[in-house]
Amino acid sequence: MKKFLFYGLLLLAGATGCEKPERNFFSGEGKRPVYVAEAELKDIRNELPGAVQQSGTIFLRDTLLFLLDEQRGVFVYSLADTLNSRVLTFFKIPAVTDFIISGNIMYADSWRDLVVIDISDLYQIRETNRVRDVVTPSLYPPNYFGIFECVDESKGAVVGWENAYLENVRCSTF
Amino acid sequence: MKKLLLLLLSIAVLGACSKDFLSESSPGQGVSGSITRFAVNGNYMYVLNQNEVQTYDITDRANPVLKHKLTTDWGLETITFYDNTLFLGSTTALYILDISNPAAPVVQAKSDRLSTVGFSGCDPVAVNGNYAYSTIKVIENICGIISAESALIVYDVSDKSSPKVLGTYPMSIPNGLGYKDNYLFVCDEGSDLLVVYDITNPAALQLAPVAVPMTDPYDLIVDGQRMIVSTKTDFQIFDVSQLPQIRKIGAIGK
Repeated sequence: MKKFLFYGLLLLAGATGCEKPERNFFSGEGKRPVYVAEAELKDIRNELPGAVQQSGTIFLRDTLLFLLDEQRGVFVYSLADTLNSRVLTFFKIPAVTDFIISGNIMYADSWRDLVVIDISDLYQIRETNRVRDVVTPSLYPPNYFGIFECVDESKGAVVGWENAYLENVRCSTF
Repeated sequence: MKKLLLLLLSIAVLGACSKDFLSESSPGQGVSGSITRFAVNGNYMYVLNQNEVQTYDITDRANPVLKHKLTTDWGLETITFYDNTLFLGSTTALYILDISNPAAPVVQAKSDRLSTVGFSGCDPVAVNGNYAYSTIKVIENICGIISAESALIVYDVSDKSSPKVLGTYPMSIPNGLGYKDNYLFVCDEGSDLLVVYDITNPAALQLAPVAVPMTDPYDLIVDGQRMIVSTKTDFQIFDVSQLPQIRKIGAIGK
Protein backbone atom coordinates (compact mmCIF):
# COMPACT_ATOMS: atom_id res chain seq x y z
CA MET A 1 0.00 0.00 0.00
CA LYS A 2 2.81 2.34 0.99
CA LYS A 3 4.64 1.48 -2.21
CA PHE A 4 1.53 2.11 -4.25
CA LEU A 5 1.06 5.47 -2.59
CA PHE A 6 4.70 6.32 -3.24
CA TYR A 7 4.49 5.53 -6.96
CA GLY A 8 1.15 7.22 -7.13
CA LEU A 9 2.61 10.38 -5.69
CA LEU A 10 5.61 10.10 -7.98
CA LEU A 11 3.31 9.79 -10.96
CA LEU A 12 1.28 12.73 -9.77
CA ALA A 13 4.45 14.78 -9.30
CA GLY A 14 5.57 13.79 -12.77
CA ALA A 15 2.22 14.69 -14.24
CA THR A 16 2.12 18.14 -12.65
CA GLY A 17 5.75 18.56 -13.66
CA CYS A 18 4.77 18.02 -17.28
CA GLU A 19 2.28 20.83 -17.07
CA LYS A 20 5.20 23.20 -16.61
CA PRO A 21 7.40 22.39 -19.60
CA GLU A 22 10.86 23.77 -20.32
CA ARG A 23 9.55 26.72 -22.27
CA ASN A 24 8.73 28.38 -18.95
CA PHE A 25 12.42 29.27 -18.71
CA PHE A 26 13.56 32.30 -20.66
CA SER A 27 16.94 33.63 -21.71
CA GLY A 28 17.82 36.92 -23.33
CA GLU A 29 17.75 40.67 -22.70
CA GLY A 30 15.41 41.55 -19.87
CA LYS A 31 15.00 43.26 -16.53
CA ARG A 32 16.60 42.37 -13.22
CA PRO A 33 15.43 43.69 -9.83
CA VAL A 34 17.63 46.12 -7.91
CA TYR A 35 17.42 45.41 -4.17
CA VAL A 36 18.06 47.25 -0.95
CA ALA A 37 18.64 45.11 2.11
CA GLU A 38 15.78 44.82 4.59
CA ALA A 39 17.83 46.63 7.25
CA GLU A 40 18.37 49.63 4.99
CA LEU A 41 14.63 50.29 4.80
CA LYS A 42 14.91 51.72 8.30
CA ASP A 43 17.41 54.32 7.12
CA ILE A 44 15.05 57.30 6.95
CA ARG A 45 16.77 60.66 7.38
CA ASN A 46 17.66 64.00 5.82
CA GLU A 47 20.21 64.04 3.05
CA LEU A 48 21.73 66.75 0.91
CA PRO A 49 19.42 67.07 -2.10
CA GLY A 50 20.92 65.81 -5.34
CA ALA A 51 19.13 65.58 -8.68
CA VAL A 52 15.61 64.18 -9.00
CA GLN A 53 15.56 60.88 -10.87
CA GLN A 54 11.88 60.05 -11.30
CA SER A 55 9.21 62.54 -10.29
CA GLY A 56 6.04 61.31 -8.65
CA THR A 57 3.43 62.69 -6.26
CA ILE A 58 3.48 66.41 -5.50
CA PHE A 59 2.13 68.06 -2.35
CA LEU A 60 1.86 71.77 -1.60
CA ARG A 61 1.35 73.46 1.73
CA ASP A 62 1.53 77.24 1.63
CA THR A 63 5.10 77.94 0.55
CA LEU A 64 6.42 74.41 0.92
CA LEU A 65 6.38 72.06 -2.06
CA PHE A 66 7.11 68.34 -1.66
CA LEU A 67 8.03 66.03 -4.55
CA LEU A 68 8.29 62.26 -4.53
CA ASP A 69 11.38 60.82 -6.18
CA GLU A 70 10.24 57.26 -6.91
CA GLN A 71 11.82 54.64 -4.64
CA ARG A 72 14.31 57.15 -3.18
CA GLY A 73 12.56 59.77 -1.07
CA VAL A 74 10.95 63.21 -1.03
CA PHE A 75 12.43 66.57 -2.06
CA VAL A 76 11.33 69.72 -0.24
CA TYR A 77 11.26 73.12 -1.95
CA SER A 78 10.52 76.62 -0.73
CA LEU A 79 8.29 78.83 -2.88
CA ALA A 80 8.37 81.67 -0.35
CA ASP A 81 10.13 83.85 -2.89
CA THR A 82 8.66 82.91 -6.27
CA LEU A 83 11.53 84.43 -8.22
CA ASN A 84 14.03 82.59 -6.10
CA SER A 85 12.39 79.28 -5.30
CA ARG A 86 14.86 76.71 -4.09
CA VAL A 87 15.34 73.20 -2.79
CA LEU A 88 15.62 72.99 1.00
CA THR A 89 16.31 69.36 1.80
CA PHE A 90 15.75 65.73 0.85
CA PHE A 91 14.04 63.07 2.94
CA LYS A 92 15.64 59.70 2.28
CA ILE A 93 12.85 57.07 2.39
CA PRO A 94 14.01 53.83 0.73
CA ALA A 95 11.44 52.06 -1.48
CA VAL A 96 8.85 54.86 -1.22
CA THR A 97 6.25 55.16 -3.98
CA ASP A 98 3.73 57.63 -2.51
CA PHE A 99 3.13 59.91 0.49
CA ILE A 100 0.86 62.46 2.11
CA ILE A 101 1.22 64.99 4.91
CA SER A 102 -1.17 65.80 7.75
CA GLY A 103 -0.15 68.15 10.52
CA ASN A 104 3.50 67.55 11.27
CA ILE A 105 3.35 63.97 10.11
CA MET A 106 4.27 62.47 6.77
CA TYR A 107 2.78 59.10 5.87
CA ALA A 108 4.73 57.18 3.25
CA ASP A 109 4.78 53.66 1.95
CA SER A 110 8.06 51.80 2.05
CA TRP A 111 8.02 48.32 0.52
CA ARG A 112 5.42 46.45 2.66
CA ASP A 113 5.05 49.03 5.43
CA LEU A 114 3.31 52.34 6.04
CA VAL A 115 5.84 54.62 7.70
CA VAL A 116 5.04 57.52 10.03
CA ILE A 117 7.63 60.30 9.89
CA ASP A 118 7.74 63.37 12.13
CA ILE A 119 8.67 66.30 9.90
CA SER A 120 7.97 69.14 12.33
CA ASP A 121 11.62 70.09 11.88
CA LEU A 122 12.25 69.73 8.16
CA TYR A 123 15.94 69.30 8.80
CA GLN A 124 15.66 66.68 11.53
CA ILE A 125 13.06 64.22 10.33
CA ARG A 126 12.64 60.93 12.13
CA GLU A 127 10.60 57.80 11.78
CA THR A 128 8.31 57.55 14.80
CA ASN A 129 6.14 54.59 13.92
CA ARG A 130 5.32 52.06 11.20
CA VAL A 131 2.38 49.86 10.34
CA ARG A 132 3.86 46.61 9.12
CA ASP A 133 2.79 44.46 6.18
CA VAL A 134 -0.07 46.57 4.89
CA VAL A 135 1.30 47.52 1.46
CA THR A 136 1.43 45.12 -1.49
CA PRO A 137 4.37 46.18 -3.63
CA SER A 138 4.42 45.45 -7.34
CA LEU A 139 6.68 42.54 -8.22
CA TYR A 140 6.70 43.42 -11.93
CA PRO A 141 8.85 45.94 -13.81
CA PRO A 142 6.54 48.92 -14.50
CA ASN A 143 5.49 49.78 -18.06
CA TYR A 144 7.43 46.86 -19.42
CA PHE A 145 6.71 43.97 -21.76
CA GLY A 146 9.18 41.09 -21.73
CA ILE A 147 11.13 38.69 -19.56
CA PHE A 148 12.51 39.46 -16.11
CA GLU A 149 14.23 37.85 -13.18
CA CYS A 150 11.62 36.96 -10.56
CA VAL A 151 11.78 38.91 -7.32
CA ASP A 152 13.53 37.05 -4.50
CA GLU A 153 12.39 38.76 -1.33
CA SER A 154 15.14 37.13 0.71
CA LYS A 155 17.44 39.63 -1.02
CA GLY A 156 15.47 42.61 0.31
CA ALA A 157 13.13 45.18 -1.16
CA VAL A 158 12.96 46.02 -4.86
CA VAL A 159 13.74 49.69 -5.54
CA GLY A 160 14.18 49.51 -9.30
CA TRP A 161 14.85 47.40 -12.36
CA GLU A 162 18.01 47.27 -14.49
CA ASN A 163 18.57 45.93 -17.98
CA ALA A 164 20.53 42.70 -18.06
CA TYR A 165 21.19 39.58 -20.09
CA LEU A 166 19.20 36.89 -18.30
CA GLU A 167 19.64 33.15 -18.35
CA ASN A 168 16.91 30.67 -17.48
CA VAL A 169 14.61 33.08 -15.70
CA ARG A 170 11.06 32.05 -14.93
CA CYS A 171 9.24 35.37 -15.01
CA SER A 172 7.73 37.25 -17.94
CA THR A 173 4.91 39.68 -18.51
CA PHE A 174 3.34 37.41 -21.14
CA MET B 1 25.90 102.22 15.39
CA LYS B 2 23.65 102.07 12.39
CA LYS B 3 26.04 99.57 10.82
CA LEU B 4 25.96 97.41 13.91
CA LEU B 5 22.18 97.44 13.88
CA LEU B 6 22.16 96.42 10.25
CA LEU B 7 24.60 93.63 11.01
CA LEU B 8 22.44 92.39 13.87
CA LEU B 9 19.37 92.60 11.71
CA SER B 10 20.95 90.63 8.90
CA ILE B 11 22.09 87.97 11.38
CA ALA B 12 18.55 87.75 12.67
CA VAL B 13 17.22 87.38 9.12
CA LEU B 14 19.84 84.78 8.26
CA GLY B 15 19.00 82.89 11.42
CA ALA B 16 15.33 82.94 10.55
CA CYS B 17 16.05 81.59 7.08
CA SER B 18 18.36 78.82 8.15
CA LYS B 19 15.55 76.74 9.59
CA ASP B 20 12.16 76.15 8.08
CA PHE B 21 9.86 74.71 10.67
CA LEU B 22 6.81 73.15 9.16
CA SER B 23 4.42 74.28 11.86
CA GLU B 24 5.43 77.91 11.63
CA SER B 25 5.78 78.38 7.90
CA SER B 26 2.81 76.22 6.94
CA PRO B 27 -0.35 76.52 8.96
CA GLY B 28 -2.61 75.25 6.13
CA GLN B 29 -3.76 71.71 5.41
CA GLY B 30 -1.96 71.26 2.16
CA VAL B 31 -3.06 69.69 -1.09
CA SER B 32 -1.83 66.80 -3.25
CA GLY B 33 -1.52 66.79 -7.01
CA SER B 34 -4.01 64.73 -8.99
CA ILE B 35 -1.84 61.63 -9.21
CA THR B 36 -1.62 60.03 -5.79
CA ARG B 37 -2.87 56.96 -3.93
CA PHE B 38 -3.17 58.72 -0.56
CA ALA B 39 -5.96 61.02 0.66
CA VAL B 40 -6.68 62.53 4.07
CA ASN B 41 -10.09 63.76 5.16
CA GLY B 42 -10.50 64.83 8.77
CA ASN B 43 -9.37 62.03 11.03
CA TYR B 44 -9.23 59.41 8.30
CA MET B 45 -6.64 58.53 5.71
CA TYR B 46 -7.46 56.48 2.62
CA VAL B 47 -4.74 54.50 0.87
CA LEU B 48 -5.07 52.61 -2.40
CA ASN B 49 -3.31 49.27 -2.37
CA GLN B 50 -3.56 47.44 -5.71
CA ASN B 51 -7.12 46.10 -5.34
CA GLU B 52 -8.22 47.52 -2.02
CA VAL B 53 -9.01 50.82 -0.37
CA GLN B 54 -7.57 50.94 3.13
CA THR B 55 -9.02 53.26 5.75
CA TYR B 56 -6.79 54.40 8.60
CA ASP B 57 -8.00 56.21 11.69
CA ILE B 58 -5.45 59.00 12.21
CA THR B 59 -7.18 60.76 15.12
CA ASP B 60 -3.83 60.28 16.81
CA ARG B 61 -1.69 61.47 13.92
CA ALA B 62 1.38 59.63 15.21
CA ASN B 63 -0.44 56.33 15.48
CA PRO B 64 -2.47 55.39 12.38
CA VAL B 65 -4.76 52.41 12.86
CA LEU B 66 -5.94 50.33 9.89
CA LYS B 67 -9.70 50.15 10.36
CA HIS B 68 -11.19 48.90 7.14
CA LYS B 69 -10.38 47.34 3.78
CA LEU B 70 -12.65 47.61 0.78
CA THR B 71 -11.87 45.17 -2.02
CA THR B 72 -12.16 46.41 -5.61
CA ASP B 73 -10.92 45.24 -8.97
CA TRP B 74 -7.17 45.35 -9.55
CA GLY B 75 -5.49 48.44 -10.92
CA LEU B 76 -6.38 51.27 -8.52
CA GLU B 77 -4.25 54.27 -9.41
CA THR B 78 -5.51 57.60 -8.10
CA ILE B 79 -7.75 58.95 -5.36
CA THR B 80 -9.29 62.35 -4.84
CA PHE B 81 -11.72 63.68 -2.24
CA TYR B 82 -14.63 65.96 -3.18
CA ASP B 83 -17.94 66.73 -1.49
CA ASN B 84 -17.86 63.91 1.06
CA THR B 85 -17.06 61.48 -1.70
CA LEU B 86 -13.95 59.65 -2.87
CA PHE B 87 -13.31 59.39 -6.60
CA LEU B 88 -10.90 56.66 -7.68
CA GLY B 89 -9.26 56.25 -11.05
CA SER B 90 -8.32 52.68 -11.90
CA THR B 91 -7.02 51.07 -15.06
CA THR B 92 -10.53 49.92 -15.87
CA ALA B 93 -13.03 52.17 -14.15
CA LEU B 94 -14.02 55.32 -12.35
CA TYR B 95 -15.12 54.44 -8.80
CA ILE B 96 -17.29 56.68 -6.67
CA LEU B 97 -17.16 55.86 -2.95
CA ASP B 98 -19.61 57.10 -0.37
CA ILE B 99 -17.96 58.01 2.93
CA SER B 100 -21.02 59.00 4.97
CA ASN B 101 -19.39 56.66 7.42
CA PRO B 102 -15.80 57.83 7.01
CA ALA B 103 -14.47 54.72 8.73
CA ALA B 104 -15.93 52.38 6.10
CA PRO B 105 -16.23 53.61 2.49
CA VAL B 106 -18.88 51.99 0.29
CA VAL B 107 -18.86 51.72 -3.51
CA GLN B 108 -21.64 53.97 -4.76
CA ALA B 109 -20.88 53.55 -8.43
CA LYS B 110 -18.36 51.95 -10.73
CA SER B 111 -18.28 53.27 -14.26
CA ASP B 112 -16.54 50.66 -16.35
CA ARG B 113 -14.59 52.49 -19.02
CA LEU B 114 -14.72 49.71 -21.59
CA SER B 115 -18.49 49.75 -21.62
CA THR B 116 -18.99 53.50 -21.26
CA VAL B 117 -16.31 54.95 -23.51
CA GLY B 118 -15.17 51.91 -25.47
CA PHE B 119 -11.60 51.73 -24.20
CA SER B 120 -9.73 51.51 -20.98
CA GLY B 121 -6.61 52.86 -19.29
CA CYS B 122 -5.39 54.52 -16.14
CA ASP B 123 -5.28 58.00 -14.72
CA PRO B 124 -6.48 60.75 -12.48
CA VAL B 125 -9.79 62.42 -11.75
CA ALA B 126 -10.64 66.05 -10.93
CA VAL B 127 -14.14 66.88 -9.71
CA ASN B 128 -15.90 70.23 -9.99
CA GLY B 129 -19.54 70.52 -8.92
CA ASN B 130 -21.61 67.95 -10.80
CA TYR B 131 -18.82 67.05 -13.20
CA ALA B 132 -15.79 64.80 -13.05
CA TYR B 133 -12.89 65.10 -15.48
CA SER B 134 -10.63 62.12 -15.98
CA THR B 135 -7.80 61.36 -18.35
CA ILE B 136 -7.03 58.00 -19.90
CA LYS B 137 -3.69 57.41 -21.51
CA VAL B 138 -2.16 54.90 -23.83
CA ILE B 139 -0.45 52.36 -21.66
CA GLU B 140 1.36 49.10 -22.03
CA ASN B 141 0.19 47.06 -19.11
CA ILE B 142 1.66 43.90 -17.71
CA CYS B 143 -0.15 41.84 -20.31
CA GLY B 144 1.32 43.92 -23.09
CA ILE B 145 -2.08 45.23 -24.06
CA ILE B 146 -2.01 48.79 -25.25
CA SER B 147 -5.09 50.89 -24.68
CA ALA B 148 -6.41 52.02 -28.01
CA GLU B 149 -6.79 55.71 -27.33
CA SER B 150 -5.87 58.52 -25.00
CA ALA B 151 -8.54 60.95 -24.01
CA LEU B 152 -10.07 63.32 -21.53
CA ILE B 153 -13.44 62.00 -20.35
CA VAL B 154 -16.13 64.23 -18.86
CA TYR B 155 -18.64 62.56 -16.53
CA ASP B 156 -21.90 63.94 -15.20
CA VAL B 157 -21.81 62.88 -11.53
CA SER B 158 -24.86 64.80 -10.34
CA ASP B 159 -26.25 61.39 -9.45
CA LYS B 160 -23.28 59.81 -7.72
CA SER B 161 -24.77 56.36 -7.98
CA SER B 162 -25.03 56.66 -11.74
CA PRO B 163 -22.26 58.65 -13.47
CA LYS B 164 -22.80 59.32 -17.17
CA VAL B 165 -20.22 60.02 -19.85
CA LEU B 166 -20.86 63.50 -21.23
CA GLY B 167 -17.99 63.79 -23.62
CA THR B 168 -14.67 62.38 -24.83
CA TYR B 169 -11.83 64.58 -26.06
CA PRO B 170 -8.75 63.07 -27.75
CA MET B 171 -5.39 63.67 -26.08
CA SER B 172 -1.84 62.51 -26.83
CA ILE B 173 -0.41 61.18 -23.55
CA PRO B 174 -2.33 62.95 -20.78
CA ASN B 175 -1.25 62.87 -17.14
CA GLY B 176 -2.37 65.04 -14.21
CA LEU B 177 -5.09 67.66 -14.33
CA GLY B 178 -6.74 70.42 -12.32
CA TYR B 179 -9.03 73.41 -12.70
CA LYS B 180 -9.67 76.97 -11.65
CA ASP B 181 -12.96 78.76 -12.26
CA ASN B 182 -14.08 77.89 -15.78
CA TYR B 183 -10.78 76.51 -16.99
CA LEU B 184 -9.42 72.98 -16.90
CA PHE B 185 -5.68 72.33 -17.22
CA VAL B 186 -4.38 68.99 -18.49
CA CYS B 187 -0.73 67.91 -18.56
CA ASP B 188 -0.28 66.34 -21.99
CA GLU B 189 3.10 64.67 -22.09
CA GLY B 190 2.63 63.47 -25.66
CA SER B 191 2.16 66.90 -27.19
CA ASP B 192 4.46 68.66 -24.68
CA LEU B 193 1.65 71.03 -23.78
CA LEU B 194 -0.32 72.17 -20.82
CA VAL B 195 -3.69 71.98 -22.57
CA VAL B 196 -6.39 74.40 -21.41
CA TYR B 197 -10.13 73.83 -21.83
CA ASP B 198 -12.96 76.26 -21.22
CA ILE B 199 -15.39 74.18 -19.15
CA THR B 200 -18.19 76.75 -18.91
CA ASN B 201 -20.39 74.21 -20.68
CA PRO B 202 -19.28 70.78 -19.38
CA ALA B 203 -21.24 69.09 -22.15
CA ALA B 204 -19.15 70.83 -24.82
CA LEU B 205 -15.64 71.79 -23.72
CA GLN B 206 -13.88 74.41 -25.82
CA LEU B 207 -10.13 74.30 -26.33
CA ALA B 208 -8.79 77.62 -25.07
CA PRO B 209 -6.19 79.17 -27.37
CA VAL B 210 -3.68 79.47 -24.55
CA ALA B 211 -1.95 76.06 -24.34
CA VAL B 212 1.43 76.41 -22.67
CA PRO B 213 4.35 74.56 -24.31
CA MET B 214 6.58 72.65 -21.88
CA THR B 215 8.56 69.41 -21.97
CA ASP B 216 6.87 66.37 -20.43
CA PRO B 217 4.38 67.91 -17.99
CA TYR B 218 3.35 65.31 -15.37
CA ASP B 219 1.06 66.79 -12.74
CA LEU B 220 -0.17 70.10 -11.35
CA ILE B 221 -1.62 71.86 -8.33
CA VAL B 222 -3.81 74.95 -8.52
CA ASP B 223 -3.49 76.95 -5.31
CA GLY B 224 -5.40 80.23 -5.24
CA GLN B 225 -3.85 82.57 -7.79
CA ARG B 226 -0.95 80.19 -8.40
CA MET B 227 -0.53 77.05 -10.44
CA ILE B 228 2.47 74.76 -10.03
CA VAL B 229 3.19 72.33 -12.84
CA SER B 230 5.61 69.47 -12.29
CA THR B 231 7.45 68.30 -15.40
CA LYS B 232 10.10 65.61 -15.71
CA THR B 233 12.86 68.18 -15.35
CA ASP B 234 11.47 71.16 -13.45
CA PHE B 235 8.61 72.93 -11.72
CA GLN B 236 6.95 75.82 -13.51
CA ILE B 237 5.00 78.37 -11.53
CA PHE B 238 2.21 80.40 -13.13
CA ASP B 239 -0.01 83.29 -12.17
CA VAL B 240 -3.59 82.24 -12.97
CA SER B 241 -5.36 85.28 -11.51
CA GLN B 242 -6.22 86.67 -14.97
CA LEU B 243 -7.57 83.59 -16.75
CA PRO B 244 -7.55 82.70 -19.56
CA GLN B 245 -4.20 84.44 -19.41
CA ILE B 246 -1.53 82.22 -17.87
CA ARG B 247 1.62 84.05 -16.91
CA LYS B 248 4.82 82.23 -15.94
CA ILE B 249 6.31 83.73 -12.80
CA GLY B 250 8.97 81.25 -11.77
CA ALA B 251 10.65 77.87 -12.14
CA ILE B 252 12.68 75.42 -10.08
CA GLY B 253 15.08 72.96 -11.66
CA LYS B 254 14.95 69.37 -10.53
